[in-house]
Amino acid sequence: MPIETLTREIFGNIGPVPKAIFYATATVAGLVAAATAWKRIRRWKLGRPEDSRNSLGQVLRAVAGRVLGQATLGKTRPAASAAHRCLFVGFAVLTLGTVLIAVEHVASLIAGRASDDPVFHKGLYYAIYEPVMDLAGLAVLLGTGWFLLRRRRADSSIEHRTSDWFVLGGLLFLAASGFLVEGLRIIEADSPGRWVSFVGATVAGLLEAIGVTRTSAVLLHQVNWWLHAVVALGLLAAVPSTRLWHAVAGGLLLSGHPQRTLGTLTSVTIEEVEATGIYGTGQLTHLAIRQLVSLEACVSCGRCQDECPAHAAGKPLSPRNVVQDLAAQLPEIFSDNAPVLAGEVVSEETLWSCTACSACVEVCPLGVDPLELIVGMRRHLVGTAAVRGSAASTLGKLGRSGNPWGLPADQRMDWAEGLEVPTVDEQPDFDVLYWVGCAAAYDRSSRRTARAMVRLLHAANVRFAVLGERERCTGESARRMGEEFVFAELAAANVAELSRHEVTRIVTHCPHCLNSLKHDYPDAGGHYEVVHHSEFLAELVDQGRLVVDQSNGQAVTFHDPCYLARVNGIVDAPREVLRASGATIDELPRNGCRTACCGGGGGRMWLDDGPDERVGRDRIDEITEAGAETVVVSCPFCRTMIGDGLATQTASVNVVDLAEVLVESLEESG
Amino acid sequence: MSFLVLVPTKRVPDTDGVIRVAPDGLNVDSSHLSFVINPFDAIAVEEALRLQERRDDVEVVVVGIGGEAYEDELRSALAMGADRAIRVDAPEPLDPWNVSSILAELARRLEPQLVLMGKQAVDDDSAQAGQFLAARLGWPQATFASRIDDSDHGAQVARETDHGIETVSITFPAVITTDLRLNEPRYASLPGILAARKKPIEEITLEELEIEIEPRVELVGLEQVSSRRAGQQLDTVTQLLECLRNNTDLF
Amino acid sequence: MHVLVLAEHDGKRLRAGTAAALGFARDLAEHDGGTVTCLVLGEHVDDVANDAADYGEVLMGAHAVLADPLAERWAEVTAGVVRSESVDILLGASSTFARDVLGRAGGLLGGAMASDVTGFRRDEGRLIWQRPMYAGAVTASVVLHGRPLVITVRPTAAEAPQPRLQPGSITPVEIDADRLPSSTGYLGLDGRPSHRPDVTEARVVVSGGRGLKTTDDFERLVGGLADVFDGATGSSRALVDAGLTRNDLQVGQTGKVVAPELYIAVGISGAVQHLAGMKNSRTIVAINSDPHAPIFEVADYGIVGDLYDIVPEMIQQLDAD
Repeated sequence: MPIETLTREIFGNIGPVPKAIFYATATVAGLVAAATAWKRIRRWKLGRPEDSRNSLGQVLRAVAGRVLGQATLGKTRPAASAAHRCLFVGFAVLTLGTVLIAVEHVASLIAGRASDDPVFHKGLYYAIYEPVMDLAGLAVLLGTGWFLLRRRRADSSIEHRTSDWFVLGGLLFLAASGFLVEGLRIIEADSPGRWVSFVGATVAGLLEAIGVTRTSAVLLHQVNWWLHAVVALGLLAAVPSTRLWHAVAGGLLLSGHPQRTLGTLTSVTIEEVEATGIYGTGQLTHLAIRQLVSLEACVSCGRCQDECPAHAAGKPLSPRNVVQDLAAQLPEIFSDNAPVLAGEVVSEETLWSCTACSACVEVCPLGVDPLELIVGMRRHLVGTAAVRGSAASTLGKLGRSGNPWGLPADQRMDWAEGLEVPTVDEQPDFDVLYWVGCAAAYDRSSRRTARAMVRLLHAANVRFAVLGERERCTGESARRMGEEFVFAELAAANVAELSRHEVTRIVTHCPHCLNSLKHDYPDAGGHYEVVHHSEFLAELVDQGRLVVDQSNGQAVTFHDPCYLARVNGIVDAPREVLRASGATIDELPRNGCRTACCGGGGGRMWLDDGPDERVGRDRIDEITEAGAETVVVSCPFCRTMIGDGLATQTASVNVVDLAEVLVESLEESG
Repeated sequence: MSFLVLVPTKRVPDTDGVIRVAPDGLNVDSSHLSFVINPFDAIAVEEALRLQERRDDVEVVVVGIGGEAYEDELRSALAMGADRAIRVDAPEPLDPWNVSSILAELARRLEPQLVLMGKQAVDDDSAQAGQFLAARLGWPQATFASRIDDSDHGAQVARETDHGIETVSITFPAVITTDLRLNEPRYASLPGILAARKKPIEEITLEELEIEIEPRVELVGLEQVSSRRAGQQLDTVTQLLECLRNNTDLF
Repeated sequence: MHVLVLAEHDGKRLRAGTAAALGFARDLAEHDGGTVTCLVLGEHVDDVANDAADYGEVLMGAHAVLADPLAERWAEVTAGVVRSESVDILLGASSTFARDVLGRAGGLLGGAMASDVTGFRRDEGRLIWQRPMYAGAVTASVVLHGRPLVITVRPTAAEAPQPRLQPGSITPVEIDADRLPSSTGYLGLDGRPSHRPDVTEARVVVSGGRGLKTTDDFERLVGGLADVFDGATGSSRALVDAGLTRNDLQVGQTGKVVAPELYIAVGISGAVQHLAGMKNSRTIVAINSDPHAPIFEVADYGIVGDLYDIVPEMIQQLDAD
């Protein structure tokens, strides 16, 4: 049959009066949707505006990649992610298809075409259009079907709501009835070349086989068409009041703002606080518009909860619940009597359970940032004098002594006794600054890392220097505990010192210092190239500046620090260093970016709880089960948390920094 | 009827700081020291605030006796939640007798129901001012409080003593001095301190209080007790005990 | 010079500190051939008065209204005796009792008071008192202006005098009970659940770490050594983690912060979190089998060896004293 004849009548079998009713209903549905959407959107407008919005080009790229491409679904829950891609693509294509039909319809009216003489909805276009739509319909069926079946599994981390049944059921119905309508239309219109609509044709065939004739199809088609239309318009009207809204909120969030770099926080100056009287998130209106949108983008899937180490340790923290609890407050956003978020809506214990590991931020497919919400609420607690105990005393010590233990600044170089460690004053023409950090300065265990590092730097003839007694804590913990101003003061002092000595490149063995110098310090005017010692050492080995003897072939296991692997994406360098030293690595089950948090971040190092409640004890179990004799770490927080944790299990596990491993193989080669 | 709680506070060097005697042998070298509210007084402020949370009509007034630099510490207390502050402009340091003279006069004028203060200041370590004040006002005292259960007209106070926890009952008005385990003071951050700028700090002079300083304690010398760690390795227990005998006053 | 020592007692005997205070008082008074009297207050205190009489003259104020050591009443009575007996120096052994009662008495008597005195010297007719300041980092020399002087003295500053062959006389003091204030009531004493002082208050803290294997070992060695000093026990986080000691014994940044005169770290490695909790101790002793343990870098005195040998020997030698 000639391809040009392929077409079908749009609105065929639907008379002018029903058509008019359809338009009227569609308009009503559209208005209902718009009105409900507006109710939500006007709440968002109460948030703070922000500068960090995407340009048009960035928006389009983001829409293509993150929204249409579903790039943020990531590696977790592969089956559900595949089902969603299926459903999403199918639905998007069908929506596009419907839009095209509307365009055709309007064009046809304008051009004054007869109903059987379409403008473009024919021929080759039609031959491609129809099977694509049918495939899309199948995709929707598949996707919705999978999600409906999954509901029968009691997955506790996914929060199911009653309205979801209507949404999923509605979508399923639309897909199924869509094919039914198509089949019936094929019969009643006797459409030429029915097999381009292969699913519809199959349905038609089945219907004909059970005795549906052209005549009976007329009425059946109309009835089903109306059912389909009503459900479709009903779902449209319901978009802003059901979980379907995530598509709008999520789409806006993913495309409207640049993807947050992990490990960064929004800064706030004391001048802003003085001007607004607001510090931290006490009320929803203190949140940025973007954050309010994110509350509604959250689909409560619970991926963040699954990844959260605090949750795994039994702490009362679920990042998803934090988001949902805040979202539940949105209807109150106009009221003056809304409960205080930090403390009343989200408990203090919940807020202090977070280790700031950023797993929740990384895994969220909608771009929601629970960590930012938590830190915002912590700021509120700090600002309203609601912090006490060891958290309070540590913040006090940081502010007064420049280190978390309140130890004297003039002891900061004691670790270097017996070693040649030039300060920036002694070696002004240094190539790289070695940032020692508080742990290596004061904690005798971590001092070994620094001492090994210095030996390696000398062996490779690196011209390095340290800040010496003028070095203060980066303030990283303070910032993540919500004390922005202790952080700001420490950062200002450090930046002044670093600028005075024209530091541009920094190497550090502490991933928290690394992250702070790299991601926090730009807020304080400090821009540096910051390198982790694993990267630096790997580079030295590569360049042949460090000659190592691979005969030190011990079997070790390596624990990736959250702030190195996940937040800063450094996974290979430590392994290169270990391999260079001849060690063989027995990987832990959760390694690389999927590493398990040791529990020390987010200020939790200073919050201690009993060993049975500590975050990260499942990691200790994992290491013990792996039967490791030597655990290599590359972070002083991990070193303490894991060292202490392992010591309660077996006394014979060695915990060392990778610099110490490398130094051993250096020395063996003479 | 308003329940006024007066919380005298002292400005002291941070206990993490290293204390060095100045070359004049009469003062401590304060050039590198940070100053804070006396930790026991911070506990008193905290307890007063908790009292305010429990009772109706409590007003918390913090008092500092000293120069303008004192206002930082007073602002911290206001940031914690105190309602207002009074700075009595006077030379520092004052001995406990003169401190109690000033506080007694303030108490007579302000008529608090309760004076809550730290059991001792961590610079002076005298632990006298509270008891002096109570004596001079003729009010009951409960020192080294580790728990305060207040009621309408008085309180039951658990006191930390060498032999255990002693519980006493006192009637208001009274003086209570705080011990370490009474509570954990809340942290005052910069935003809180800024917000506290709206709260008034009243300045009063000694003339207005009609008080003349009558020194009872005259400092004639300060001697550094060596703070450097000897780091001596010993071989036998006998040697160790000998060192301890000679170098501590515990034997 | 007339020195009056306010007795601290347990109802039967003087407490050890008061005996030392009597010795200190004697050192003060003998300069001009003055007298030392001991003031014993309470309800039924004949035994205490007899005990005190072994050291000198005694004034005894016995009355039901003084049954409990309420500062309000005892200070009032003491001040009265000071005035009526023309006492030059009112003295007591440094303790919570003395700070409470003598502190108030000082307020009634003009405030020429020095607490925690560790010694005195005479200089051109002035008495110069030594006392610690800044948690013992500094020793202050002070002169008191006024009369009477009120002094609390550290029990280690003097020795108890030899008991006399002939006990001193015991003179009753009239107690005008009706004129005594009564806004304080005594509700009871809860002896400590442990017989040991609290770790944040004790003058000596003996702390145990990973080197100890069992709870019994902890009690026997760390507890035993602490008891010799009448001190408190503490623990590093490692032992708490291992379930060998209670959480409330933990010394460290997230546990208790202590600053005793003597801190003995038994089998503790010295991680910085632990250090943060005890770095202000006056004297630090470390006992550890690992010569490279970081604790030795902050200790004044250290012994490398097996704590299971060293600690029992310490207890034995100290007990023998």
